[in-house]
Amino acid sequence: MTTVDAIAVGDQLPALQIDMTATLIAAGAIATRDFMPVHHDRDYANAQGAPDIFANILSDTGYCSRFLTDWAGPDARLRHLAIRLGVPVFPGDRLVYTGSVTSVEVSGGERLVEVEFRAATAAGDHVTGTARLDLPVTV
Amino acid sequence: MVDEALEEKLASLVGAPVGRDGPSVAPDPVNLPMIRHWAAAFGDDNPVYTDPVAAAGSRFGQLVAPPLMLQTWTMPTPDLVGIAERGGSPVAVDGETALATLDRAGYVATLATNSEFEILRYLHLGEVVSATTVFESISEEKKTRLGRGRFITWVTTYTVESGEVVGRQTFRILKFDPSGTGE
Repeated sequence: MTTVDAIAVGDQLPALQIDMTATLIAAGAIATRDFMPVHHDRDYANAQGAPDIFANILSDTGYCSRFLTDWAGPDARLRHLAIRLGVPVFPGDRLVYTGSVTSVEVSGGERLVEVEFRAATAAGDHVTGTARLDLPVTV
Repeated sequence: MVDEALEEKLASLVGAPVGRDGPSVAPDPVNLPMIRHWAAAFGDDNPVYTDPVAAAGSRFGQLVAPPLMLQTWTMPTPDLVGIAERGGSPVAVDGETALATLDRAGYVATLATNSEFEILRYLHLGEVVSATTVFESISEEKKTRLGRGRFITWVTTYTVESGEVVGRQTFRILKFDPSGTGE
């Protein structure tokens, strides 16, 4: 967790590394109530032309949220998230989230922080995006 | 070559609801078991989601749902028998859908490209979420590296029982013709 008042433009967020497994992909899909077979049934995924099951988008936003609040702490409030989707994530892929602070603004007792981030595998960017959070300004 | 009938049909969809049966109402209110399941799936140990004491001492003052669970609350209870035969659709869809119109025009493949959330406030235990989704835009045909296709954007507005809007989601897909005739 970071010290809110010390957040500054250019700060790097601690990287979040996920070594993806079939279990994590299936667990993420079901926890987000996404029962599309491509996220839990390899035979079905193969028939669709994919080499294996792959992570669903609601899991991507779940990991984005964790990546952001692991850094910003429990008093952070996520206000906006925008992601662009790239290469899929399969079991065996190592997915690494990295990001940095692009803007800090204090307004009305809140500190608005903007972050840009990416999550990449060896095959390239899986997700690129931006987020806006607010944190209380401590007294 | 422009297919006038198709263009007209697609233009008529913009602003129209994606579902045929009104808003999707969450089958269950915001609840701790589903939150705990979600947090465990992503290894998210943020205490404001699952620890009532820590949450009470936070700026939220009580447990809150992970903000990006918004879409999860309104996912339908699936009819798992036959889901593969339905192409992964969790429930049977009656009648004509807009995406079927695009399938018939040859844009049979789907690739999700963008997802954007605006969170107006966090949800509390017991709240019941509803989602209303409309087509925001359907692009003209583009030549993409995957083939000819169209970008479809829809916007979902999430509300609670009082009608208060708690969040919005913009989602974009590319519906494309994978047959390689895009050249």
